[in-house]
Amino acid sequence: MEKPRRPWYRMDNASFMYSSIQREEFSAIYRFSAVLTERVDPVLLQAAVDRTLPRFPGFAMKICRGFFWYYFEPNTAPGPYVKEDTADPCRPVRFNEDSGWLVRFYYYRSRISLEVFHALADGAGSLTFFKALLAEYLRQRGAAIPPGEGVIDLDEPPRPEEREDAYLRYAGKAARAIPRVPKAYQNRGTPEPFYTFHVTMGFLSVQELRGKARSYGASITEYLAAVLMLQLIEKQKRERPIREKPVTLAVPVNLRPFFPTETLRNFIITVQPSVDPTLGDYSFEQLISLIHSYMHLTAEPVKLRAAMTRGVRLLLNPFLVLIPRVLKNPIMLLSYHLTGVEPYSAVLTNPGRFVVPECMRPYIEHMEVVQGQATVARPHVSTISYGDTFEITFSGVQKETELEREFFRFLVRDGLHVRIESNR
Amino acid sequence: MSYCVNCGVELNPGAIACPLCSTPVVNPNCHPDAAEPGFFPSRKEEVAPVSRREAALLLSSMLLSVAICCGLLNLVFYSHIWWSFFIGGAMAMLWVWFVPPLLIKGMFIWVRLTLDVLAVGAYVCLIAVALDGMDWFLALALPINVAAVVIIPVLYWIIRTRRCSLLVSAVLVLMAIGLFSMLTEYICDRYLIGEWTPGWALVVLASCVGLSIPLIIVRRVPSLREEARRRFHM
Ligand SMILES: [Zn+2]
Repeated sequence: MEKPRRPWYRMDNASFMYSSIQREEFSAIYRFSAVLTERVDPVLLQAAVDRTLPRFPGFAMKICRGFFWYYFEPNTAPGPYVKEDTADPCRPVRFNEDSGWLVRFYYYRSRISLEVFHALADGAGSLTFFKALLAEYLRQRGAAIPPGEGVIDLDEPPRPEEREDAYLRYAGKAARAIPRVPKAYQNRGTPEPFYTFHVTMGFLSVQELRGKARSYGASITEYLAAVLMLQLIEKQKRERPIREKPVTLAVPVNLRPFFPTETLRNFIITVQPSVDPTLGDYSFEQLISLIHSYMHLTAEPVKLRAAMTRGVRLLLNPFLVLIPRVLKNPIMLLSYHLTGVEPYSAVLTNPGRFVVPECMRPYIEHMEVVQGQATVARPHVSTISYGDTFEITFSGVQKETELEREFFRFLVRDGLHVRIESNR
Repeated sequence: MSYCVNCGVELNPGAIACPLCSTPVVNPNCHPDAAEPGFFPSRKEEVAPVSRREAALLLSSMLLSVAICCGLLNLVFYSHIWWSFFIGGAMAMLWVWFVPPLLIKGMFIWVRLTLDVLAVGAYVCLIAVALDGMDWFLALALPINVAAVVIIPVLYWIIRTRRCSLLVSAVLVLMAIGLFSMLTEYICDRYLIGEWTPGWALVVLASCVGLSIPLIIVRRVPSLREEARRRFHM
């Protein structure tokens, strides 16, 4: 009798990168939370997880170590189990613990949280999964939520299009990196001991914020990027360095609007607006228009495709292919350090608006997003909006609060109402 | 509902201090209620540090198997000399270098440095025994090794614990080099000629001192220090 063959899945270039750079003190984990209008019932949540996960096989994976590559295998272990939330979110992942699950589910009072290892999916993919999970949870507790309007039908079988490696499909002929700036201001703080993770959230009104951004002729993300950049420039100036370094933001761009795909896996690329403070002082208005123009010049399909192709090509490099995985890891780590850590002062990610069907709206109060620990002790900034609540998170292991303090103070001075919550 | 008087942001009703600037919240109309559960959970989860036993075991077995393979090979090739002894010793030295740090978390770096230098000494000792050269080992290699054991960890310890600036660290390293070459020459001379005739080590020491003096002056004079920093982009 033929032994049934276990299916396995190739990793895309982003997944492989995140898997190889995973370490004890760092892994690319992020969290989405929905704060509901009433207390969460863990039993119903577990039922919802058990019912939702089979429809999303891409999230029910474990990472296996091959000789040359990491690869995914469907995880058949029992679980994942819903857990009570802890004070320090986004704990780094360990491939051999927790039965190899790369997604985690938490509840705390009226908050449901989903944590995802970045090798599985990007923010857009995870939000699709999260939306289906929330809909199923609400159904479990008696609400009538029909599928459709972005809520995936749990009764239909999983579709192969959702597991597509869209990078590979859209990779073009030319491979070019988006021009990188030299080593940027690092904005490092004093790291806390293992394992303490600080999260500070600011809540604003979407309408107020949009009105403010419009008054500068920019989108919300551009406005916030400019505020963050200005604070980083001034923070660097206060530290009185011998030579000021460029201040560069890493802004992940969702590629789905440019290259249509239904994939729930990674399909993002990072662009990097940057200013060089040694050239002179930028006013806030100049920063906004700079970022506005940069985004329009860089986030366009031809350049994005070339950058994406480069990422794909890297993993097809014949020399890299033949190196055993244990030796690839240090190479990937070094390359990540040189191309993903040193050129940036901060990461600013905006998964966008969380839109749910009308029938789910009364149950969800607001949404939150947290990016896990950076490789160095500096804060990551992430934002998400739902209804009229705009949420901004500063998360990191550093003791200092200087950047978030100045950031939110600027917003207050600019006439916006900010409410702060923190686990500090 | 309270606001931070410094930041102007609205705070959690239960907050005792502003999370951004640590300013205490003083609101006579609204007392922070300690019983109010926080916005975020406060339950800390104990995370067991990952064990590196597997890695240590793997490395140990790799080193051991290299030693054994060479030992077996020794029986066939050039079997008239025990060359595999040197390989085995080298493996033992590598083991001391890399395995204890894996097993003991948070091992003091100067303990580690001392162990590393001692391992080199032991290896040299092994070579000396094999070559019947206990004579030069005791008189030459052992004292030099001891000097290294003393100087390297102490230097490292000073630089790390005193948080020395780049200039001070440079001066300290130069001084250590000078001192070490003096000691080495002293030991060599005692072994080779029987008396100490300062020669090349004095040149090294003089160069080190010569290099250090401008650094010390720059370090001492604030205006010079600023100037040097500006000029050299240090
Ligand atoms: Zn404050």
